[in-house]
Amino acid sequence: MAIPAGPWLEYEGGTLARQQVGLWRDGLRRLRRNRLALAAVVYLGLLACVCVVSLFWTPYNPNLVGACPTYALPGTPGHPLGCDDLGRDLISRLMVGSQVSLAVGLITAAIVVVLGVSVGLLIGYVRGVVDAAFALVINVFYGVPPLMIAIVLYVLLGPGLINIIIAIAASSWMDMARLVRGQTMSIREREFIEAARAGGARTGKILFGHIFPNALGPIIVQTTYVVPAAILTSAFFSFLGFGVPAPQADWGGMASEGFSPLLAGFDPYILLWPAIALSVTLLAFNFFGDGLRDAFDPRQRR
Amino acid sequence: MTRGTLIYIVQRLAIIVLTLLVVSFVVFVVVHALPGNAFISQRVHGRSLQLLLHEYGLDQPVLIQYWNFLKGAIHGDLGVSLYIRGEQVTPLVLRELSVSCELGGAALIVTIGLGMTFGVLAAIRQNTWVDYLLTTLAVVGYTVPSFVIAGLGIMIFANFLGSVTGGAIAYSPVWTGTYGTIGELWLPALSIGLYTSGQITRITRASMLEVIQQDYIRTARAKGLREWVVTLRHALRNALVPVISILGTTVVGILVGVLVIENIFGIPGLGKEFVESILQHDYNVTVGVFTIFALLIGLSNLAVDLIYTVVDPRIRY
Repeated sequence: MAIPAGPWLEYEGGTLARQQVGLWRDGLRRLRRNRLALAAVVYLGLLACVCVVSLFWTPYNPNLVGACPTYALPGTPGHPLGCDDLGRDLISRLMVGSQVSLAVGLITAAIVVVLGVSVGLLIGYVRGVVDAAFALVINVFYGVPPLMIAIVLYVLLGPGLINIIIAIAASSWMDMARLVRGQTMSIREREFIEAARAGGARTGKILFGHIFPNALGPIIVQTTYVVPAAILTSAFFSFLGFGVPAPQADWGGMASEGFSPLLAGFDPYILLWPAIALSVTLLAFNFFGDGLRDAFDPRQRR
Repeated sequence: MTRGTLIYIVQRLAIIVLTLLVVSFVVFVVVHALPGNAFISQRVHGRSLQLLLHEYGLDQPVLIQYWNFLKGAIHGDLGVSLYIRGEQVTPLVLRELSVSCELGGAALIVTIGLGMTFGVLAAIRQNTWVDYLLTTLAVVGYTVPSFVIAGLGIMIFANFLGSVTGGAIAYSPVWTGTYGTIGELWLPALSIGLYTSGQITRITRASMLEVIQQDYIRTARAKGLREWVVTLRHALRNALVPVISILGTTVVGILVGVLVIENIFGIPGLGKEFVESILQHDYNVTVGVFTIFALLIGLSNLAVDLIYTVVDPRIRY
């Protein structure tokens, strides 16, 4: 009986050799089957659109005090989400707030990847004294909550979005470095690395040309968890009063502003909208991350 | 306790001491490098500022200041507060530690109680609506920020229920005394605990599913034991090891939660003090809080490793 060759044989065929596909095509195919992850991707796409639009246009100036009556309830004509205690339009502020969250999440992740991967590759490859020193630093670092380190760093650097990103990246790149170090240590013992070395490849070529591509799956997966973690940390920052400077809207800060009206017993919406936006975004990044993990790193499936 | 265990404990304690030294040194140097000082907001200038700086030793080089701090710290004296002038840091921090421990302990109970119950339930009802509901709840728990859960809780229990029942069932969201009563404590504890319990639920479920498939469970069932005896006494005991291994991470998660939640509910603990001391440049208090946090994490990690050997006697150090 002729069995048609195709990627679906992967799970049923067993001994049959499956069609050769690359990491990306293989991963994307599996990702497409995951509905929750797809929904998350759609939401994140919409969020990115909102973020880009808010750079050029919002219904009202988000920082304009007195754009509408203070504490206007949702559904007020012209202000679908209502207004805050200073009479600023909440939907405009919510739209602009996405900029801070996305910027912090994505740029922090980029820094963490570059720093964590380079350090991890180097330490995993060189080993010896460097590795021992790194282990010591990590031991000390894990001795305090990363949020506290980030806060102290941020206060030292001074206010501003860039400094928030630096503080969060500096307190969260070590997980990535540790992961890549472990991957490097196991991959460097494999035969093809020996072959590359015998063939005269330089260390840089071995690290980035041979080891890095083979550790890509776990790195991608880890990256997708760095993004929501960074957004969450920055929300905690703003919430505790260490956020972006005052008039700039961001979700954590908006939620923080919403707490005093809530505790006084009126108008929960000021807190509710940023809380929903933040939670749904974090959930979407997590679902997307879970989808990616299942797609790129099937062995780790929980 | 074998000799190996003792050696292991001593090693770990040495690492904790080392961590404390490094953490306190780095934080000390960084905090002193912050722009401004504790006396700016107190409107002290000129000669009187110089005298104050001299009195608190702040005009000396940072390294010498750290050495002096260290000499005091060895005797358990973390110096004096610069903001509330003359207040001893050690008793202050210890009092706040007890408040935070009350909150953190309650959060830990919520975490383990909810997390393990949900995890076991989800595992024994695998692929039913119970399983889907509980695993979804776990995901929501560890993604939604704790202050959102706190806000929703206040919205529902303080504002909505309060107005619906005319104040008969009302939650008062602001902490009145130094220590919270159970009526005040449960919502802050739940806000923290939902986050950490999400992780515990996932791990417990996965580990239970693995254990349930093993032969000795089938044997226990074949012997005619009741299902709950098999689940709790046979399966859960063996499923505990991975759960305990993430308890260290859980403690860190609870401490972060304490940091945030205390500032919402006005709880006079270490988390609130940490934020205030940074804003007030109260150097000694910041360093003190950091040191206490590092000590807590170090000791709880050690405790987790020791519990490990009790739960799984195969693990030896």
